[in-house]
Amino acid sequence: MTVPVILGLTQALALTMSVAFLTYVCLIVVPYLRHRPARPGDASAFDWHFLVPCRDEEAVIENTIRYLLGTFPSAHVWVIDDASDDGTADIVSSFTDPRVHLVRRLRPQARTGKGDALNAAYRALVSWLPGADPLRTIVAVVDADGRPAPDCLSVCAAGRLFGDETVGAVQIDVWMSNRGVLPPRGSWLGRRFGAGLVRMQDLEFRTAIAAIQTSRGITGTISMGGNGQFTRLAALASIADESGPWRGALLEDFELGVHLLTAGWRTGFTRDTHVAQEGLYSLRRFLSQRTRWGQGTMQCARYVRRIWDSRHLTTLGAAEMLYYLAQPWLQLLGTLVYPIPFLLLGIRAAADPTEVWAWFSGGAWLLFAVYGSFGLLPFLVWGPIYRARCEPSVSVLRGIWYGFAYAIYIYTFYVTSWRALFRLVRKRNGWTKTRRNSETRLALDH
Amino acid sequence: MTVVLSRPVQWHRALSVVLLLGAVALVVWHRAYRTVEMLLAGGLIRLFTSDGVYVAAARQTVYFGLGGDRPFGLRMSPECTSAFLLLPLLLVGAVMIVLRPHIARQVLGALGIALVVLIVVNQLRLLMLVGLINWLGTDRGYYLGHTMFGSFISVFGGAAALVLFVWLATRSPKEDPA
Repeated sequence: MTVPVILGLTQALALTMSVAFLTYVCLIVVPYLRHRPARPGDASAFDWHFLVPCRDEEAVIENTIRYLLGTFPSAHVWVIDDASDDGTADIVSSFTDPRVHLVRRLRPQARTGKGDALNAAYRALVSWLPGADPLRTIVAVVDADGRPAPDCLSVCAAGRLFGDETVGAVQIDVWMSNRGVLPPRGSWLGRRFGAGLVRMQDLEFRTAIAAIQTSRGITGTISMGGNGQFTRLAALASIADESGPWRGALLEDFELGVHLLTAGWRTGFTRDTHVAQEGLYSLRRFLSQRTRWGQGTMQCARYVRRIWDSRHLTTLGAAEMLYYLAQPWLQLLGTLVYPIPFLLLGIRAAADPTEVWAWFSGGAWLLFAVYGSFGLLPFLVWGPIYRARCEPSVSVLRGIWYGFAYAIYIYTFYVTSWRALFRLVRKRNGWTKTRRNSETRLALDH
Repeated sequence: MTVVLSRPVQWHRALSVVLLLGAVALVVWHRAYRTVEMLLAGGLIRLFTSDGVYVAAARQTVYFGLGGDRPFGLRMSPECTSAFLLLPLLLVGAVMIVLRPHIARQVLGALGIALVVLIVVNQLRLLMLVGLINWLGTDRGYYLGHTMFGSFISVFGGAAALVLFVWLATRSPKEDPA
């Protein structure tokens, strides 16, 4: 294969992937910007149960339980202690409120994944609730530091969400509770970097991810997240095996959504309410978290056949899910394909710098500018959108700066996809939880 | 008596293999494809200009303005051909047919239309280039036509082909009114 042919092939592939992504972003921006709040429903028509998986969460769990009990007086709180080494279980046991339930998991059966922990709570809940109406019982998964907004139950009870009995699950928007807050420790630069990283996570969840989820309302493929995930008990029961409804993938939330959708349930997403969680200040922890997500997405490739075989999913829906599952693989391909034209240009420039400079200054610079813009715009656009729709107090210039920062932030996915692949190849499928900002112990996540 | 039935042909797999072979053929015989592209371009240019047009098929080059003051030749390089832009669509089409055989006809129709769009867009790009060179001269016309507008046409043409392909290949059949 000659150099021009390699160049032609890689350019065509790069152009197709860039154009596909650019088109996709244009298509998801429109429904996001057209969103209008819906009328909330009657939360008292349902029974609400919060599942809170915990491993070594003594730093946050007490406040979370108090918040949930105080904000949602009719709801029950099920804390799953996944063999914590700290005082998590003791803290939960100290609550005498009958609405607080402790599900203890002990070694060696414990620490086998979040899905298993949730299944333990599911089994405990089902045996505690004989005779309950599974259509009117809603199970919500919340992180140990999660803060669901006070209106989240009534919003989820809306007519287009759980008010519709064909809807099996609802995912709510996710915000970062520590956005705009500097980390307490570190150098001047390090603290600002940490705060910027949290801001990008907030921007990502409230704009790009929310836009993807909103557009999935059209394709019928809204997926579930690990925090702020509400599911009808009847839906969970319909997909449960002997262990429970959650399976073993690292992306157990997305996996749950796949099982629900292919079983015929509809899923919903709303930006009318949210759950707040702590964003990560540490780049190392952030990369670990995203590597886990990337590896989980790669693992879920095993569901491609199930998705396309399902008569409940339209071809457009199946194609959307395939595109999502292909993302880590496309990122891997991108890291191989995108540099090739630049490498070849570099080699040519080294051989004949005068000719290449004449070519570049004679107009080819515009080509770089055009393709650079097309590569940047799909990310840049979210900065001003975030400012306009989520944080109006931020200045216009800062909104644009957020867009540039988000473009850089997204490029970390090229790193995490490779890390995920290496883990997958080496069959390193086990993970510990991502440490919270307040936890200072070493080890654990990797 | 025992009747031995041969295994039914998995026609959708065969169809996907044909599409994949088509993609391989485009890579192997890209020179022939580029020659056809230039023959087509030569024919189209002849429709719009009275000056001499000559296609050097062996070099995948079209010369135009041969009867005028500024004759010019354009070569279809591997970087400029639409051949390699067809590959991703052929691959995606093959995967879709394997995964959901009953939409094969729909995917093939969508593929056909998207491929035609990509080929037409590349021809339009060439025609625009010829027009700008004739109008603005060799340097400025080529610069604007190839570097600037050509890139936009490629991006927007590619986007149009992709959207058309996805829309046509995935749209649900209309339900009969009860």
